[in-house]
Amino acid sequence: MLKYILGRFGAMLLTLFLVMTLSFLIIRLMPMSLFENPEVDPVIQKLLEAEMHLDKPMVVQYYYFVKGIVTEGDFGRSVKIRPGMEVFKVLASKIRPTVLLNVLSLVIAIPLGIIAGTVAALRNNKLTDTIISFLVVIFISVPSFVFASLLQYAFTFLWPLFPTLYDPAAPNLAATLHSLAMPIIALALNPIATIARYLRGELIETMSSEYLLLARTKGLTRAQATVRHAFRNSLVPIFNAIIPLITAIMGGSMVVEKIFAVPGIGGQLIESILAGDHFLTVAGLIYYSAVSLATILIVDISYGLIDPRIRVGGTK
Amino acid sequence: MLDPHNLPDEIRDLPDAGFELAQTGEIKDEVFHTKPIGFYRDALQRLRKSKASMVSFWIIVIIILLALIVPNITGYTYMEQDTSKKNLPPKIPGLESLGIADGSQILTNRRRDSLDNPDRFPEGSVIRIVREYELSGVPVVDVMVDYYTFVGVDDDVYHWMGTDYLGRDLCTRLFQGTRVSLLIAFFAVLIRIVIGVIYGAIAGYYGGKVDFAMIHFAEVMDGLPYVVVTILFMILLGAGMFSIILAMTVTGWIGTSRLIRAQFYRFKGREYVLAARTLGVTDRKLIFRHILPNTIGPLITKAMIEIPGAIFSEAFLAYIGLGIKPPNPSIGILLSNGQSVLLQYPYQTLFPAVLISVLMVAFNLFANGLRDALDPTRRGED
Repeated sequence: MLKYILGRFGAMLLTLFLVMTLSFLIIRLMPMSLFENPEVDPVIQKLLEAEMHLDKPMVVQYYYFVKGIVTEGDFGRSVKIRPGMEVFKVLASKIRPTVLLNVLSLVIAIPLGIIAGTVAALRNNKLTDTIISFLVVIFISVPSFVFASLLQYAFTFLWPLFPTLYDPAAPNLAATLHSLAMPIIALALNPIATIARYLRGELIETMSSEYLLLARTKGLTRAQATVRHAFRNSLVPIFNAIIPLITAIMGGSMVVEKIFAVPGIGGQLIESILAGDHFLTVAGLIYYSAVSLATILIVDISYGLIDPRIRVGGTK
Repeated sequence: MLDPHNLPDEIRDLPDAGFELAQTGEIKDEVFHTKPIGFYRDALQRLRKSKASMVSFWIIVIIILLALIVPNITGYTYMEQDTSKKNLPPKIPGLESLGIADGSQILTNRRRDSLDNPDRFPEGSVIRIVREYELSGVPVVDVMVDYYTFVGVDDDVYHWMGTDYLGRDLCTRLFQGTRVSLLIAFFAVLIRIVIGVIYGAIAGYYGGKVDFAMIHFAEVMDGLPYVVVTILFMILLGAGMFSIILAMTVTGWIGTSRLIRAQFYRFKGREYVLAARTLGVTDRKLIFRHILPNTIGPLITKAMIEIPGAIFSEAFLAYIGLGIKPPNPSIGILLSNGQSVLLQYPYQTLFPAVLISVLMVAFNLFANGLRDALDPTRRGED
């Protein structure tokens, strides 16, 4: 087991390294200089470029880049958006709203999705099921940013229950959450629907199995049998669905952060791409890759915990 | 004449007259009263029975037709600017007498006395006063105006979905944008499928070391997060339709290649493949003529499932400023432009949002129906 985890961890680092190299190469191959500001004295510009090793050949630049990251966790300095500030610090200052937004939407989505899926399965082919299934199709199909616009217009403008934009100066957590409610809901709708759909399908399939019939024969009610017996067997496929969900939430959160002006990493990444702030862009991309790779790893490892029949890392 | 059976000359040259039939009786058989139904015919029949799929199918067809026709008949082009007609609200002939889409708009915080000034409010532009109040001692009003008259546009000008901040007709732009978005989605999926099929077929057919190398390469590529890869390649390739399509295919083919590889492993050991090989059929012909047709069902389903995803990706890229080149519209561009003025001019977001939602729901429902119809285990049901 430990060997397996280490192996997976190694593979993850390798992929991260690949992302790092690719982003570095692609962004440096862009035909734009880091400093295009005509007001900066050319002498100072030369000095700055020398300090950031930009006057040297590409390979040497890459060496310094990797060395900085590996030995000191130094991702370089921002040059356009926060000139002179360390990229790491820029990102660190943005991480709180992003993590709040992403984690909370997932935390809301999982139980709601499970409840909706279970209810739909228990009321299979009845009106409740039809309504849930209809909503599921809508929530899966309609992009999160369309919901974001809709929620923003409806609940911050027509009926102003929530602030239109994120409030960075919120005095306490409750106020922050109040201003984050709309983006969180916009992001959570799709995961809720995805989980509900998977779970419903799985549960309906398990319900016709023999051990469930046995459970019913023993005198358990339909709901008891489903929740206690069928449920656990349906968790594995749900876990499979959660991996793409996390990546989807992160991608969607980029746009949703922009719509609600949440000062998070997604908005920062967009800004740095458009401004051509290379070091910041590379670091943002590495952050996104690291998070999605880490979730995949965690989900993979936890298979064994949910279903003891799956031996993680076994050779056949 | 070449003799395929290598018979000795004296046997081959025997006269036909020397033969007679050993048995002349007829073997009787039941005549089929029904026509035999092939797999795809059966699938089509089941697809037709599913109401949701058929409705979605027709919605998709209608949207495609609208995208083809509307930009040509509105009388405007998608890039025609007219700054004297900025941000006009929707106005549709016929509906205007009903009070919806009549080109009216509520202007807030106007001085009460300015209403009588024909330079500010041309004659007949004021429809009604919504609210009267005082602001620091000055009487002000929220007033509903016929915005077209208000900005001095002729009465017979109609913009069905209004205009944007450059005075471009949004109806034309929306359907032109639909055209662009659909084209991007179709081509992105097509290229993904082609690459995926070739890659998966080679890996699955040859197996062994080739398979090992190919599948591991694909796994490494798949480790790169999709969002990150598309953003990187969009930065590299620059804005444009072609770049979007390419950026979406960089790692997009991997799913298809996995599917095809699995199918090849399933079919390459079958007897008919062995028979074809024994007869000397070339590898290429075996791959494309003999094994690949087995995978068409799952392939079609996969393609249909990926199309809404591709439409979404395009819109996503447009939102983060990496879309196609202006002044070309796409649904994503329109949405993100509309979003920036959502609270002032909600209709600029409304129409693209409704269109993309309907399109995505229709594609998803149709893909689901297609998957069920092409599922061989459900054959002959109902």
